[in-house]
Amino acid sequence: MTGLEILPADILTISSAGLLIATFGVVVRRGFADWLSAYRYQTIVLAGVTAVIAYYTGVWEIYVAAALTLVIKAVVIPRVLVRVTRKIKDEFKIEANPYVGLRLSVLISALLVALSYALTQQMLSSSSLDVVAMTCLPVSVSLFFIGLFVIVSRRMALNQVVGLLIIENGLFLFTTALTHGVSLVIEIGIFADILVGVVISAILLFRISQTFDTLDIGSLEKLRDD
Amino acid sequence: MIIGDGHSVLFYLVILAFIAGALVPLAFRNSRKASVASFAPGAAGSVLTIALAASIAVSGTALEMPLPFAAAATEIEFQFYIDGMSAFFMLIIGLVTLAVSIYSIGYSSEYHEKRSIRALGFLFNLFVLSMILVVASDNVFSFLVFWEAMSLASFFLVIYEHESEGSIRAGMTYIVMTHLGTAFILGSFLAMYFQTGSLSFDSFRSPGSPMPAYIRDIVFVLALVGFGTKAGLVPMHVWLPQAHPSAPSNVSALMSAVMIKTAIYGLARVTLDFAAPSSPDSAWWGMLMVVAGSASALIGVLYAAIEKDIKRALAFSSIENIGIVILGLGLSVVFLSFGLQALAAVALLASMYHSLNHAAFKSLLFMGAGSVLFGTHTKNMEQLGGLAKKMPWTALLFLIGAIAISGLPPLNGFASEWLTMQALLSSYQVPNVALQVSISFASIAFALTAGIALATFVRMFGATFLSRPRSKEAEHAKEVPKTMIAGMSVAAGLCIVFGILPFAATGMIASSFGLDESVASFNVLTVPYSVSGIESISSMSMPAVAVMMGAAGAAIAGFVLASGSRKTARKIYSTWDCGFGELNERMEYTASSLSQPIRTVFRALYKPRMTISKDRYSDSNPYMKKSMRVESETKDVFEDRLYAPAVKTAVGFFDRVRRIQTGKVNAYLLYVMIALALLLLLARVMP
Amino acid sequence: MADVATVAIGVVQAAGIVALAPFLTGVMRKVKARTQKRVGASVLQPYYDLAKLLKKDEVVSDQSSWVFRAAPWVMMVATVTAALFVPALLPLSPFGAVGDVLVVLGLFGLARFFTMLAGLDVASAFGGLGTSREMMMSALAEPAMFMTIFVVSLTLGGTNLSSLVGAAAQSAGFVAVPSMLFALIAFFIVILAETGKVPFDNPATHLELTMIHEAMVLEYSGKSLALVQWSQSIKQLILLALLVNLFFPAGMPPSLDAGWQVAAGAGAFVAKVALVAALVAFVETRVAKWRLFRVPDLLVMAIASSMIGVIFYYL
Repeated sequence: MTGLEILPADILTISSAGLLIATFGVVVRRGFADWLSAYRYQTIVLAGVTAVIAYYTGVWEIYVAAALTLVIKAVVIPRVLVRVTRKIKDEFKIEANPYVGLRLSVLISALLVALSYALTQQMLSSSSLDVVAMTCLPVSVSLFFIGLFVIVSRRMALNQVVGLLIIENGLFLFTTALTHGVSLVIEIGIFADILVGVVISAILLFRISQTFDTLDIGSLEKLRDD
Repeated sequence: MIIGDGHSVLFYLVILAFIAGALVPLAFRNSRKASVASFAPGAAGSVLTIALAASIAVSGTALEMPLPFAAAATEIEFQFYIDGMSAFFMLIIGLVTLAVSIYSIGYSSEYHEKRSIRALGFLFNLFVLSMILVVASDNVFSFLVFWEAMSLASFFLVIYEHESEGSIRAGMTYIVMTHLGTAFILGSFLAMYFQTGSLSFDSFRSPGSPMPAYIRDIVFVLALVGFGTKAGLVPMHVWLPQAHPSAPSNVSALMSAVMIKTAIYGLARVTLDFAAPSSPDSAWWGMLMVVAGSASALIGVLYAAIEKDIKRALAFSSIENIGIVILGLGLSVVFLSFGLQALAAVALLASMYHSLNHAAFKSLLFMGAGSVLFGTHTKNMEQLGGLAKKMPWTALLFLIGAIAISGLPPLNGFASEWLTMQALLSSYQVPNVALQVSISFASIAFALTAGIALATFVRMFGATFLSRPRSKEAEHAKEVPKTMIAGMSVAAGLCIVFGILPFAATGMIASSFGLDESVASFNVLTVPYSVSGIESISSMSMPAVAVMMGAAGAAIAGFVLASGSRKTARKIYSTWDCGFGELNERMEYTASSLSQPIRTVFRALYKPRMTISKDRYSDSNPYMKKSMRVESETKDVFEDRLYAPAVKTAVGFFDRVRRIQTGKVNAYLLYVMIALALLLLLARVMP
Repeated sequence: MADVATVAIGVVQAAGIVALAPFLTGVMRKVKARTQKRVGASVLQPYYDLAKLLKKDEVVSDQSSWVFRAAPWVMMVATVTAALFVPALLPLSPFGAVGDVLVVLGLFGLARFFTMLAGLDVASAFGGLGTSREMMMSALAEPAMFMTIFVVSLTLGGTNLSSLVGAAAQSAGFVAVPSMLFALIAFFIVILAETGKVPFDNPATHLELTMIHEAMVLEYSGKSLALVQWSQSIKQLILLALLVNLFFPAGMPPSLDAGWQVAAGAGAFVAKVALVAALVAFVETRVAKWRLFRVPDLLVMAIASSMIGVIFYYL
């Protein structure tokens, strides 16, 4: 029902389901290095899905996008993240006490996937979408919600970056599925953007950890004006 | 734009002059040079403005010009169109700015080496320019852009003396109120936009299909509240007596004399141009304006009568005068609704004439108050007194302003109040008893206003300039620099010219508003009557009255001189002291004691509270007192009863709302998530 | 108006008002004295006073400014100019088109403005006291006066005094409309207030508890005092003339063609004014001075009365 059941239908659905499973993999990881590698796998799956889409639609630019995804998100971004966060203490990299427990998180993520399918039914039925969009739209919205949920539920600022990255993957899938590849230039721009965004957030986090001696974003509450 | 058209060239020159006035002083570090560099272009720009506006107003034509750098999107561009109505208000701006610019050259020396004259000059010119462009705007976009520019420039000028707690408070009240007002104005424009589908004033003026009545009602009510806030209409007036006095006096003069007129312009534009009333159904608009106007007039003057701060008292008096203007405008709308064109012309003439007159005498009085502040460094009337001897020119010019604003002949205030009274008296022609009776109640309020205004300005002039000085500062006051006298003289000259030669004003108003000129043909103001089978014409000729006063004066002088058989001497001696010995300044009436009877009569409004503490020599004998201390205070009912509870409720509500602002990033993102889910749900349930 | 003869008529009529005004004051004082069982001074005494004052030296307070010195002249100019617009002996004022009843009120306001300033200028407590009381009284008298004019202008048409009195002259002796009756009550009260009569003010005493007008002009002497007193008399006569001509037009010539009618009308006018003056003086004797803060009650009554007049007219 959530895409976990393997249907003999077509490879697109299966690969989408694979993407969701990979996403869950990211959600359950506790430590920084763990989720980073999980994210790397998720991205590889995403690149695969993208390649499938490219095959279905026959737009060569999407192959390029898939390749770029593979290179930048699966290789460059994890490397960069590891490098810039090297100085952050290990204790800040582990989500010891999230707002929502990890097992519960998986359950909620599953619910969110269901919710996404339910909410997007309308769009699926009303508009004249092709099969690629039909399959990928709910998946991308799911990624979106899951990413948001991860950010909401995590306490450690560094680990919230993962939520951001999941959302970004969802967005990427969304645009690719619906528009069959926006212009390549824009695609590259977006990749550059996310790269810089990740770097900046990592640096900011480092500053936060230096200043507050914690990365618990609960302490950001002190910034509120009373 | 038509190249070579003299008018549009003039218009660009006006803009350039004020921009020069704003930017050139930035190059000067020296305060004196900076003030000349900013106010001289300002004066030049206002002369150009007067020339442009007067030629358009008198010729009764209009000037249209989109700016050359208009953006591509058709609705979002600057578009200007100066018709008679715009030109008339532009003229008010020009005249007052001319006087105030000249005055400012001297007045700004008050701030030399203490504050940035460059900032003052920059904001001053920007303020004036945005007012000019507001009245010249021809679409919603440019109107609102310059309206906001005007509000912001004046906001920064209000907090120019930013060290004082009061200034900041006043500025905050001002900016909040003025933005609330702008929201209403925007609402009014949008209501019209939804009907016409275009943001240009042209489309509002002549919509493709006539606007439905309920839309017109909404447009009117929103415009009245929005522009009424800027104009200082009761009960949206609370910001005005705080903000106007806080600004430097030259800016106070501009704000009180001119800025609130832009609101009158907007109201006139909406009620007479965009949604002109044509059927008795819209008579209630006019009646609403009559009621609000007369209430503003009365309440404004009642607070002016007891206020000790001279600039605050003048600000309250602005509320009064704007009330009279809106009363006239309202009468005009009532008459128009019943198709009484001639009477509507009288009422509109009265209203616009009073706008012009108020600009003249209120700028004069604010400049006079500024001179007093300049000479004594206090604006508390209790600490003034005796300035007529120290500052004779200021006193004379202030007296001219006081006579004019009190509505006394032969100056301009009388002429416009005469027209207003005629409009009130002519309300018998309205074929509706309820309206007739209501307007006669408004007449009581109006007459009471006039009576109290007289008392207010007797008190203001008397307490400030007459009798003995009540403080060291007042004792050592000196006459102000010549440029300040010159600036005030310009305004005083306007009070005299518009009084003795009303046609200078009324003829122009008639041509710029397209009115029948018979009301004001050559300095004789006439209103026909037809009651109980009696036909008659009421008329008044200011020049003739002035001439007669002169003749009477000459005759009396001749008689008195002839009757005295011998030369009489004049002996200077001390005032009668009942034989008790030297009188001193502690024995004379102060500003508060002068207004005490009025405070007592209207105590229901003021809620005065008086505490008397006595210090006795011994407890056994209550009659021997060492000293007594009397403190009295009055309250602003509107702030206490209306705004304070409203603010309290709002603050309480938002305090509760604020709880959702936890400071946790997670929580905020949760809201995003929920919002997203709800949006999708909305898309789901709504086909 | 261009006609020299009509201008001459107007000037002569105004001169008549100016000349007769002290006489009226004399009559009122005489009646007051008689009703108080005194002999009283001659009715011509105000003229003697003026003649004497005009010849006397003046004492001016060292605290005062030019405002104090200018004030009597402004008062006099304003009231004399007002006299030009008022139909008194004739049911016509040739200058009616130049200045109407509102101008007359405005000129009175100008005079009052300067009287009040003069009171403040000398820096004595008396002056301030008078001014502060006058501020309250005049503020409240204004609406009563205006509403009276409202009724009159509704009933007789407009604000042009010449045509108002002309219209009144056409009626049968007394404008017998209920609205006018209420206006009359209001107008009578306003006259008492404006001319400083007893329930409001007591010009005969120089006691700080009672005086209003006298307190403001206490410091004047010589020529200036003469001008102040005279202008006060003129104002009084103008108000009484308006009262009789608007509300009791009996005896007024309906047209100006017959010479004897005009003469009789002028005689009737003098008689009526003297009668009303006597009535005012009588009221002054019978009524005690009211406490200052009860005075507004009386003025509010006047406002209410004239307002009822307006409502009666409309209904």
